[in-house]
Amino acid sequence: MDTSSAIQEPFDLIRLSLSERVFVKLRGDRELSGILHAYDGHMNLILSDVEETILIVDQADGAGEGQPTVNMAKRKMDMLFVRGDGVILVSPPSR
Amino acid sequence: MDESTPPPPPAELSPPPVPSTVPSGSPTDFLKGVVGKRVVVRLTSGVDYRGVLSCLDGYMNIALEQTEEHVNGVVTNRYGDAFIRGNNVLYISAAEAI
Repeated sequence: MDTSSAIQEPFDLIRLSLSERVFVKLRGDRELSGILHAYDGHMNLILSDVEETILIVDQADGAGEGQPTVNMAKRKMDMLFVRGDGVILVSPPSR
Repeated sequence: MDESTPPPPPAELSPPPVPSTVPSGSPTDFLKGVVGKRVVVRLTSGVDYRGVLSCLDGYMNIALEQTEEHVNGVVTNRYGDAFIRGNNVLYISAAEAI
């Protein structure tokens, strides 16, 4: 199905994702996956059944030198309000 | 060995003609022209998103299709569609002729 024809402004992409599981990239190396219940013009979001993934990068001393070790922490939340200014990217489920 | 070729004409003082491939007009004209084309969106964090620009709004919120996320030149993620919040955008670069 061709969704591109239904999209006139970027927020249409979010509107079409209501009640769907979305991927959200946040500032501070955090990612969320949850069901989108509501949003507003700030990109404040209400998500349910959320899994948060936090990337903890331990930069080995000397920037660029050596492989930084990346640790991943996950946690789950039933219901979450996301303040819009932390949002970098929202991706709807691929159709 | 090119002694037979004539010397180049004297330098003109008038500015060189603008190549026709260089787009002219306002930033808004550029953005209008680039909708539907392949673009590179760089965020202030240095992450690049390459994809087809579906649309954008006055906040520079962006909807991209067939998006690839590049970090340090390496593809780190792919999204069918992606909404990018405008405050994170550093620049939008046309990746094909507009």
